[in-house]
Amino acid sequence: MSITLQLLFTGLGIGSIYALVALGFVLIYRATNVVNFAQGDFSMIGAFLMVVFAVDMGLPYWLSAVIAIAAMAGFGILFNYGVYYPLRHRTFLPVVISTIGASILLQNGVLAAYGPHPQSLPAMLPFPGIAVGGVFLDSQYLLILAVTGAMVVLQYLFFERTMLGKKLQATSQDKEMASLLGIPVALMIGITFAYSAVLGGLAGILVAPLLFVSINMGSTIALKAFAASIIGGFGDVTGAIVGGLALGVVETFGAAYISVPYKDGFAFLVLFLFLMVRPQGVFGEKVAEKA
Amino acid sequence: MTDATLSHPAPASNRGAIAGGIVLAVLAAALAVLPLTMTLSAYVLNMLMQAVTYTVAVLGLTVVLGYTGQLSLAQAAFFGIGAYAVALGTVDYGLGFWLSMVLGLAASAVAGAVLGLTSLRIGGHYLAMVTIAFQQIVTLVLVNSIDVTHGPDGVSGIARPNLPGVSLANAKAYLTFCIVVLYAVGLAVWYLRRTRLGRAMQAVRDNELAAGVVGVNTYRTKVVAFTISAILGGLGGALFASGFSYISPDQFSFAESVVFLTMALIGGVQSAFGTALGTGLLILLPEWLRFLKEIYLAIYGLSVILIMVFMPEGIWGLLERIAHVGGGRPAVVTPRPFRLDIPDSGPADILETRGLAKHFGGLRAVDGVDLKVERGSVHALIGPNGSGKTTLLNVLSGLYRPTGGSVSLAGRDITRLAPHERCAAGVGRTFQNIRLFRSLSILDNVLIGAQRPGAPAKGEAALRERAFEALGFVGLADKASELVGSLPYGHQRLVEIARALAGNPTLLLLDEPAAGLNPTEKQELVELLRRLKGHGLTIFLIDHDMAMVERIADHITVLNFGKRIAEGTPRDVLRHPAVIAAYLGEVPTHGAA
Amino acid sequence: MALLELISVTASYGAVDALNAVSLRVEEGEIVTLLGANGAGKTTTLRTISGLMKPRSGSIRFLGKEIAGASANSIVRLGLSHVPEGRRIFPGLTVRENILLGSSNRSRVPKAELDRDLDAAFGIFPDILKFADAPGWTLSGGQQQMVAVARGLMARPKLLMLDEPSLGLAPIIVQQVFRTIAAIRERGTTVLLVEQNAHMALSIADRGYVLETGRLIVEGPPATLLNNEEVRAAYLGGRVTAG
Repeated sequence: MSITLQLLFTGLGIGSIYALVALGFVLIYRATNVVNFAQGDFSMIGAFLMVVFAVDMGLPYWLSAVIAIAAMAGFGILFNYGVYYPLRHRTFLPVVISTIGASILLQNGVLAAYGPHPQSLPAMLPFPGIAVGGVFLDSQYLLILAVTGAMVVLQYLFFERTMLGKKLQATSQDKEMASLLGIPVALMIGITFAYSAVLGGLAGILVAPLLFVSINMGSTIALKAFAASIIGGFGDVTGAIVGGLALGVVETFGAAYISVPYKDGFAFLVLFLFLMVRPQGVFGEKVAEKA
Repeated sequence: MTDATLSHPAPASNRGAIAGGIVLAVLAAALAVLPLTMTLSAYVLNMLMQAVTYTVAVLGLTVVLGYTGQLSLAQAAFFGIGAYAVALGTVDYGLGFWLSMVLGLAASAVAGAVLGLTSLRIGGHYLAMVTIAFQQIVTLVLVNSIDVTHGPDGVSGIARPNLPGVSLANAKAYLTFCIVVLYAVGLAVWYLRRTRLGRAMQAVRDNELAAGVVGVNTYRTKVVAFTISAILGGLGGALFASGFSYISPDQFSFAESVVFLTMALIGGVQSAFGTALGTGLLILLPEWLRFLKEIYLAIYGLSVILIMVFMPEGIWGLLERIAHVGGGRPAVVTPRPFRLDIPDSGPADILETRGLAKHFGGLRAVDGVDLKVERGSVHALIGPNGSGKTTLLNVLSGLYRPTGGSVSLAGRDITRLAPHERCAAGVGRTFQNIRLFRSLSILDNVLIGAQRPGAPAKGEAALRERAFEALGFVGLADKASELVGSLPYGHQRLVEIARALAGNPTLLLLDEPAAGLNPTEKQELVELLRRLKGHGLTIFLIDHDMAMVERIADHITVLNFGKRIAEGTPRDVLRHPAVIAAYLGEVPTHGAA
Repeated sequence: MALLELISVTASYGAVDALNAVSLRVEEGEIVTLLGANGAGKTTTLRTISGLMKPRSGSIRFLGKEIAGASANSIVRLGLSHVPEGRRIFPGLTVRENILLGSSNRSRVPKAELDRDLDAAFGIFPDILKFADAPGWTLSGGQQQMVAVARGLMARPKLLMLDEPSLGLAPIIVQQVFRTIAAIRERGTTVLLVEQNAHMALSIADRGYVLETGRLIVEGPPATLLNNEEVRAAYLGGRVTAG
């Protein structure tokens, strides 16, 4: 029983990371109809910014995190202007390739600066964790769960309760109509990219103490996060969160009970079977196409 | 008029094309033989080998993504299946190159077909995700089933094949062989676009819903596209394995699938030439950038972004636009008069529904409708917005499966048939929001309608003739080679009608054909429908313009809240109190014929 | 001074001229209608005025201010609201949210004032009040058209441009839409109306223009247009001989 709970806790922790990155995917997809292949690299950049501020410059840990997150917002805006904005009137595929190019650029840019050796970061909380019953709750995992929970609540309030949130949604549904109503569309898309980069960076900062910080750390996370958003129903915010958590749990149990080397394959196999049974994901697509 | 008149539409430009073709063929042959005559360093040979074998695999993406519009992110997995089949077959099992390759292609084909089969259930991003899942699983098997695949160490000592009397063991000879294979594949892919299958693929890409309704078996088309793509991936991989004699799992990872995709799109995914250009460029570019030392891959990434920003249609797309290549074959043909081949035997009611229902969750969009449409008549369906008219039409054309009830066409039960099967049975239709194949010419749009299964026209010449007849009937034969997007709205509606007519339907369903037309254009539409009726075609239409409906309809059915509330001749129905209250508001005062 | 004035405006899609030296005026308080065949340039005219398309040459003045080439969201801030063809309701937002977003062009409106305007909008279209919290995509075409017009009015425009508001609507709803347009003018809003339903449009308009392949060919009050043989033949479905 306690092993099951222990695995569940770990699975939810990893799943939260997938959920954060998946949220970033979904937001950019809704605003621009584009799948951002560099989404995982946002996490990588976030983690490396932590290395820059906390390790190289020796700033206090929490201050480093705050600066890194602020820097991610600026990075998101730059990313928008460099990678998406010039192609905003084009179809899906050229933009996708542009984000693939950005991913290559970011990974190899960091590689040129830091070399191929992975960096490491200490845990963020000053205690290793707490034991509840037979279950050990690692402090880093607790932090991940708490931050993800807080982000989800904040995001819900922002999108559902504020006029700015509604304007962002309107922009993602029909850009031309939004501009006719006087909504500054370019600004809205810039905000979406900034926020999406913050989410990705946050995931990277949170996961860094658990993994090594390396240039391709984002790729695996992004692939899982994309899978998570598909399981949830692409384009759906709740679905991304549920899908992320579910994938984390499935993967952790699969690794424990079935096979460690095939851990990733297990997750994808479940995804494959799941899509066969329920093609629209858990929450489906809200807007039906009228013939 | 015979086929001959149609087969030489523009002799002068044809002769030019033939001359161009010969020049191209000579150049190509010279290029293929060139490696044999030159001294090439091992480094250059390797790059050429990689470029040639990759291009074969990337051409698979031209078919599945460029022609059929399905995003596949598993091309490296098929490439790997072909490569490992040859590697393990020749090294571990002593099967020889040719047998191993055939087994590899068969395995790729089966895997590709299975991926294609999943498209029955899912599409778009979900299908792309399934291809990623497949890619990941293949990579994991290659890395982890060490007993079979040699694991992460890879396989070395892969042999090269022999042709009867010719040894290909020499790298230059083998490269020439690969170039010849590439030419054959490239030519086949280039030609595919101009065939029935190729047109069906492009119809699926441009508008899947409309493709089904005009008779394309969309599901089969996608499965075939995935299978062809997988076979080309496997073939490229098989050639690659023998070319380099050593392979390892990291050469067939998801990252490589992304590289294949990038190659296809940088060149221009809708063209075989573009694919070859893009592949060559992306293999050469990193080599050219090597002088930049540590940052060369970062600059490579930046170049990919810049190419997309400045050439979003790929390099080939840009070249095409500059040179106007392939635009317009000026086929000025006087079409034969249009005719419809409609059997005059059979029941008096060509279409009959019994208790037809379509529910969406709790919403009863169509709620038990009985309908009889008389052979050769014009029958109008009217009713308030949201009363279920379009839903009913979608059930009739097979886009929605009914919740209950039955539909029969000329006495035959068609309730369970898919849209393309109903089209084959003789149901044609148009859409409220025009659904044409936007990247194709007007002629190609109508050709896709003409080639529906069971239509009388067979063979390219007959199909073209039929398409011109239909275009002539709506008065657009002289615009045949223009792109549909360049036509004004009213003409696009006519192309949709011509597309349906080319397939020789017995029943034509029209969803708001007069919407967006001004009174004069509406009058022209009425004339057109009257001429069609004269050919014996039965027309079932939805429209809101009562003046027009009154002039053309023999019979009117009124729907409200998914149920039939009135039925009869225009004179009676348009004065029915319930119809006035729910729909008309006031009795139409003008336009009575 | 005219509220809106176009002087010799030319616009093109690529190499094709869509508008050729179009000049027109809309005076304050008028309903002006723009008629013409498909592809004549009616929608392009509205798109060029509202900033969705940039004119190649010519001048567009609104309230005496040059707006040619300005961005769409800056033009609507001046009080020129464009309700485009096809309703364009945000499918994932509720009806109330859709209508509220119509006020995006006004800066810092107090909440009480927004609520008053929202009530006024539902007052004009009482039929959609019961769908206030339903997502936009669930509405029928007629209901969506009402939401689109209500959303356009939330901008408190001095000039409201409507593109084919009757498209695809049942006759009873079309009559309602035209009554509403007349009512909107009574409240002091000027209207520029593009319509295929020429008879209906001329029945409420003060003046009309007829466009043909990107050029204006006739201008005048409804009676003049209705009695013009050419216009009748080309756009009103009246046959010259058997009419």
